[in-house]
Amino acid sequence: MLGFLTARQAGLDDPLRLRRAESTRRVLSLTLNPDRDVDRVHGNGVNAIDIDAVEGRYMLSGGADGVIVIYDLENFSGKPQYTCKAVCTVGRSSRHVHKFSVETVQWYPYDTGMFVSSSFDKTMKVWDTETLKPAEVFEFEDNVYSHHLSPIARKHSLIAVGTKNPKIQLCDLKSGSRIHVLQGHRAEVLAVRWSPRYEHILATASADSKVKVWDVRRASGSVLTLDQHNGDKSKASSEAVNTAHNGRVNGLCFTGDGLHLLTTGTDDRMRLWNSATGENTLVNYGKVCNESRKRLQFTVSRGCSPEFVFVPCGSSVAVYALHTGELVTMLRGHYNNVDCCEFHTDYQELYSGGKDCNILAWVPILRTADVEEESNSAPTRAVGQASVNPAFQDAWSSDED
Amino acid sequence: MNRKRALISDTFKVKKRIRIGTEKFGAVSNGDGPTDIKFTLEYLMTLFPRKLFNDALPQIVLKHQLYSIHHDKTLVDKELNKLRERGEVLMFQLGFDAEAFGLIFASDYKAKVLAAEEGRATRATVERFLEKVLSSSTDLSFSKDQMLREFLFTDSEITQLVKAGVLTVRDAGSWWLSIPNSGKFTKFFLRGRKAVLGMVKKSKYSEVLQAELEERRTTVHVKFHMKYHVHDIVGAELVESIPTTSGTMLRFVDS
Repeated sequence: MLGFLTARQAGLDDPLRLRRAESTRRVLSLTLNPDRDVDRVHGNGVNAIDIDAVEGRYMLSGGADGVIVIYDLENFSGKPQYTCKAVCTVGRSSRHVHKFSVETVQWYPYDTGMFVSSSFDKTMKVWDTETLKPAEVFEFEDNVYSHHLSPIARKHSLIAVGTKNPKIQLCDLKSGSRIHVLQGHRAEVLAVRWSPRYEHILATASADSKVKVWDVRRASGSVLTLDQHNGDKSKASSEAVNTAHNGRVNGLCFTGDGLHLLTTGTDDRMRLWNSATGENTLVNYGKVCNESRKRLQFTVSRGCSPEFVFVPCGSSVAVYALHTGELVTMLRGHYNNVDCCEFHTDYQELYSGGKDCNILAWVPILRTADVEEESNSAPTRAVGQASVNPAFQDAWSSDED
Repeated sequence: MNRKRALISDTFKVKKRIRIGTEKFGAVSNGDGPTDIKFTLEYLMTLFPRKLFNDALPQIVLKHQLYSIHHDKTLVDKELNKLRERGEVLMFQLGFDAEAFGLIFASDYKAKVLAAEEGRATRATVERFLEKVLSSSTDLSFSKDQMLREFLFTDSEITQLVKAGVLTVRDAGSWWLSIPNSGKFTKFFLRGRKAVLGMVKKSKYSEVLQAELEERRTTVHVKFHMKYHVHDIVGAELVESIPTTSGTMLRFVDS
């Protein structure tokens, strides 16, 4: 690290490089931290979490009992000890609560005044954060597995919805109607994801082992169908042509720059694809345990070099190097299966939720600063204490009298 | 300048590597340094019991056994593909698991197949197959179309090849490339794997030191060298391998 600092000081490196180095160092030292807790509000498993992109301050979580909670992640107390408080909750007592398990939650990408949740009760609700009432309810014929709003779209405000029906629905927030259907899959659609690079590109993963990439401006069909063998027919058995996995594909995630796409399947594999050509990059991550019947929410780090993938793997979260496929570490802490995780880009923190009803915060633990000489630090510490808590000092002085 | 090319995380790993290095002192080195897949393959081949099959089988190594020695799986795949393209190594689908691939040195395969064909009527066809097909393609399986048009075999010749065992039926109109008489190998291998896994499972806390496992007396089911099986179960991730102060420990993974 000192090397990077001197290189920066001498002007050998650009600022970005130093930033990347520090982010990487922080990600490599992610651990469970006793200083950081997340309020335990959920009484059932946590299915989905999302951190808002505007401030990086509020976190949404959706539970298996239909409850949605908003947490405040920002620590203004000045102490390292912090419990992320639940700011507001759509609880079981609310009139508008989802009847069954909430499968996906997502903030509106440009504003925290609105968020979208979808559930097994066959609805997707668009919520007003201020009043915690749904501003719009989309109803479907089948269970909703997943939905996604494009993080960069400026020309459309479409929500892609994957349901038990093989057709992918596109809902328009402007008109509040379902405007379009994308046909091509043969089984339920478990995950949908917009590209963070091109606003009209959508990737979908289905239980028929296929992953398709769509351009929503084109009505006729998908642009690409990802093939795990890159068209080499001699390896695949004849019925498994053009499949991305040898099982249900239940996780989908673009890298931060949108150039690559990651998929996970119940064949215990994770694959990295070139999202422009649909080519399998053949990175071998080894066995990535995956027994989920539903969507698996995993995430990729941003601003590190090299980038890392965080993927739930049984009751722990596995961290892989994105391009080499090397297992960096396993984050163990949950008591039951982990279903979702989300990376906080600004602070390099990871939040994960699981069937044990907990949301755990993984915070980088860096080497603590060396303690200074007692004589130098004592007066400053006393002043600091007094300014923080004058009531405490009053009580102490009265004791002396 | 060299430092510009180096990955940033490599700088942070330096410290870690030193620590790991001291732990591993005296133990088997686990593939630091340049990856020489061919050397590793040759090492694994030596574990293959040739006597058991009266030296009739070529030495078979499973692809995932390589992963137990080299940790960068992507690199192993890449190096292996290079070897296959150069025609030094052949890959086979072994049939009991879609993910299990067998690796054989091409020269060894050819020698053993020809030795088995000595004095049989099918020899000429098999020889032609080895010459034409194996030298030109790296495919694991062949379709009927490919066999008839590209390699100019007739239907009856294909039947001869299947009889000789260099092809097995995959489904209607396509064949896997295969190893003659490898059924016995698969049988012994699967039985041995089951027995070794059972040994790990039945030890206390379902975990056992690798060195201790390798020293154990084996049952009749384990026909191969213990190390062969250990490399197999570690590579296929049926057990977890954990470095400890007294060597590598294997723990059974529930799945």
